[in-house]
Amino acid sequence: MPQVIKVGPVTRVEGHLDIEVTVEAVNGRQQVVDAKSSGTMFRGFETMLVGRDPLDASQLTQRVCGVCPISHGMAASLALEAALGVTAPSNGRILRNLTLGANYIQSHVLHFYHLAAPDYLDTTGLLDMSPWTPRYVTSDMAKGSTAATFVDHYVKALEIRRKAHQMGAIFGAKMPASPTLVPGGATEPVTAARVTAFRALLTQMQAFINNVYIPDVLAVARLFPQYATLGKGSGNLLAYGVFDLNSAGSSKLLKRGTYTNGAFGQVNASLIKEYVKYSWYSVSNTGLNPSRGTTTAYPGKSGAYSWIKAPRYNDAVYEAGPLARMYVNGDYRKGISVIDRVAARALEAKKVADAMAGWLNELVPGAAVYAYKATPSNATGVGLTEAPRGALGHWLQIAGGKVSRYQIVTPTAWNASPMDDAGRHGPIEQALIGTPVADPNQPIELLRVVHSFDPCLSCSVHMSRPGDKARRMLVRV
Amino acid sequence: MALSRRDFLKASSAVAAALGLRSLGFLTEEALAAEGTPTVVWLQAQGCTGCSVSLLNSIYYTTIDKLLLNTLDMQYNSTVMAGAGSTAVNAANAAYAKGGYILAVEGAIPTASNGQYCTVWPGMTALAAVQKFAAKASCVLAVGTCASFGGVSAAGANPTGAKSVQAVVGTSKPLINVAGCPIHPDWLVGTIAYILKNGRAPALDSRRRPADYFRNTIHSACPYRNNSPIPPSSGHGGGAACTACHGSGAPTGAARLGQTGCMYPLGCKGPTTRGDCPTRKWNSAAAGAYGVNWCISAGAPCSGCTEPTFPGTGALYTLAAAAASGGAGGTASCSQCHSDGRSGVLPAGHPSIGGSGTGGTTTGTVNCRQCHSNGSTRGTLPKGHPSITRRRREEDDD
Repeated sequence: MPQVIKVGPVTRVEGHLDIEVTVEAVNGRQQVVDAKSSGTMFRGFETMLVGRDPLDASQLTQRVCGVCPISHGMAASLALEAALGVTAPSNGRILRNLTLGANYIQSHVLHFYHLAAPDYLDTTGLLDMSPWTPRYVTSDMAKGSTAATFVDHYVKALEIRRKAHQMGAIFGAKMPASPTLVPGGATEPVTAARVTAFRALLTQMQAFINNVYIPDVLAVARLFPQYATLGKGSGNLLAYGVFDLNSAGSSKLLKRGTYTNGAFGQVNASLIKEYVKYSWYSVSNTGLNPSRGTTTAYPGKSGAYSWIKAPRYNDAVYEAGPLARMYVNGDYRKGISVIDRVAARALEAKKVADAMAGWLNELVPGAAVYAYKATPSNATGVGLTEAPRGALGHWLQIAGGKVSRYQIVTPTAWNASPMDDAGRHGPIEQALIGTPVADPNQPIELLRVVHSFDPCLSCSVHMSRPGDKARRMLVRV
Repeated sequence: MALSRRDFLKASSAVAAALGLRSLGFLTEEALAAEGTPTVVWLQAQGCTGCSVSLLNSIYYTTIDKLLLNTLDMQYNSTVMAGAGSTAVNAANAAYAKGGYILAVEGAIPTASNGQYCTVWPGMTALAAVQKFAAKASCVLAVGTCASFGGVSAAGANPTGAKSVQAVVGTSKPLINVAGCPIHPDWLVGTIAYILKNGRAPALDSRRRPADYFRNTIHSACPYRNNSPIPPSSGHGGGAACTACHGSGAPTGAARLGQTGCMYPLGCKGPTTRGDCPTRKWNSAAAGAYGVNWCISAGAPCSGCTEPTFPGTGALYTLAAAAASGGAGGTASCSQCHSDGRSGVLPAGHPSIGGSGTGGTTTGTVNCRQCHSNGSTRGTLPKGHPSITRRRREEDDD
């Protein structure tokens, strides 16, 4: 008999996520046959920006997400720069990259050690206290000295991610939300002392990534080889690219592109559409490109199960994230799975940290960090960049000197999206389908799959409804 | 490595003593290493988790690992807890059954449509959860400006009916607004430490913020202010440009973002915003050390993120000082003093341009609370009020 398993809340993610899966025997193995991913919080961010001074976007959209605010500040700055017709001077571009890179490192380290690793560890006898207990304890988890080492590294990683934010504040004023990212560049002048302070911390980051983070990821890969074939998802990857290497943005550390049914391609932003049949928004919002998008909340809408819209590229389901970036860029092409996502994230942290060391050398103390251009009365702009979790786009329209439309498509909208109007499941839902579940009361496998995407829910959200099939046994875990 | 609270208590007490934490004013290592490990239930409502992330940056008083291992019994916090699903919900319910916990709420509370805009777990809206858990809490911490005042979540048209924690649960339980978008970790950790040590809330200002951190305006210790410290009771804290009162002795203003100087002409909210950012700074590197940087030091105007007026409806900042706002010294943007979204040319005699105004149309244009935090006045400005005459006058500002 099919069982419905509901995990709500999914913890150790940013924001509010519930998942609901149907499990039944397939070829003698209990596995997920259907899945729903529900974002359970809505704020109306895009509505809030309408009527405001366009410049506010680079500050206020950082409050979309406290884990990746710098990426929102970057996307808004890029959208505004397109609208204003200005580009940041070299120093300003590099300062923003360094601040963004600092946040990539803190986010990736935080994800692996503090959000994901607990899924693989039995810490009984090590951390018998809240918030690490109570928890699922399954027989396949690493115990003993391996678990003890990870607990040590959990604590060390807290220090490293704190220092990553300290590093980001050197040019970012303060972290998590930085006021120094503005259209036209950055506000913090470059001094030799600040470059030196930044480099000293960056060296510590690089040592941790090389000597602790990557070896620990490899240890998980060795201990859980089955997860190198689980959680594939849609198999299509989307990357907008990030870390501009020139002022035009035509060269990037991680390039823009798609991976579709095994073939690489270019990104055409006009092929992005957002669907809302299964989301709590008015049906008039469906099937629109974000440049024409609208966001009209419709709580309680029949049949809907998420506050997340369903963005699709060329009407197909795409995954975003470090694996997509590293795949498109040619840095990592071993496969698409739970382990591949975790591994690509760690290797990307190394790539970004190493690049940052080079960018520090390109800074010119005293040279301009900012270029001024007045805000036009009427203009549009698109800012495509990458949050640590994947492709992030801001679509801006200015009329009469005020924001007349603002649409944000986050990476977790791509990854945690519900079904679209054609009934295609989102990437996390697809990755869950086919995943075996050994113990419905402790469905740790589901958490490992979901956490591999590093979901970040805040601009979306959930009203969960029990399954409608009366014969199903409802198991709440 | 086997960890127990007791082991960490011993270890961190030794570390604390070695670092001389006893000398950090009102905070002592006994407070942070209290045997009692009070229970905390931390609810994520309508926010961005930025305050939680900022808390992770704590080190001035203590670090997050020591706080969790040694000081607090964080029974429910969906962002960090190992348990998930009903295992997590059961932990929250167990704390509820016992009662007497510290309730921390991050984010605003959406109240429209019966709170359906945010659920904390299946079938439990943030609205219902905050009401339920507040009822048996020993005290309530509103963490961040969204929880304290509505903040970004309640801005603009506020389609979700987002409200502050206080608006939802009142103050029948001790309620502390740890404001900031995001919070400074020290503001929260220091407040918790005070509660643990003294068994009661610290002194609060009229907005229920911990007074130790929110006593002074950002302006009062701004590095671009040209004189030695101005006490907050001297009439400062108003919305006028320095030149309106100080003439040629005023600091040189930045004409554009990226230039050095007073950023009031660029919309800086420092004069009307309270917090100890100028001294405490952000992202501290070591125990007992202040931070490495902060907004104004990095060339970015204060956005006023600790105030109930944040983010308001007016511009947070401008790229260049307004050029056509009524002549010499006309540098203020309307939104710095007026929260009704107005814009346009300043009338002759407007206080921000230093004209010899009569004070003529003085009703309703200034929100009293922008300067006065005693929560009282609203209405017609009295004759001789500093915002219409620029005359220096002693007034009790707090």
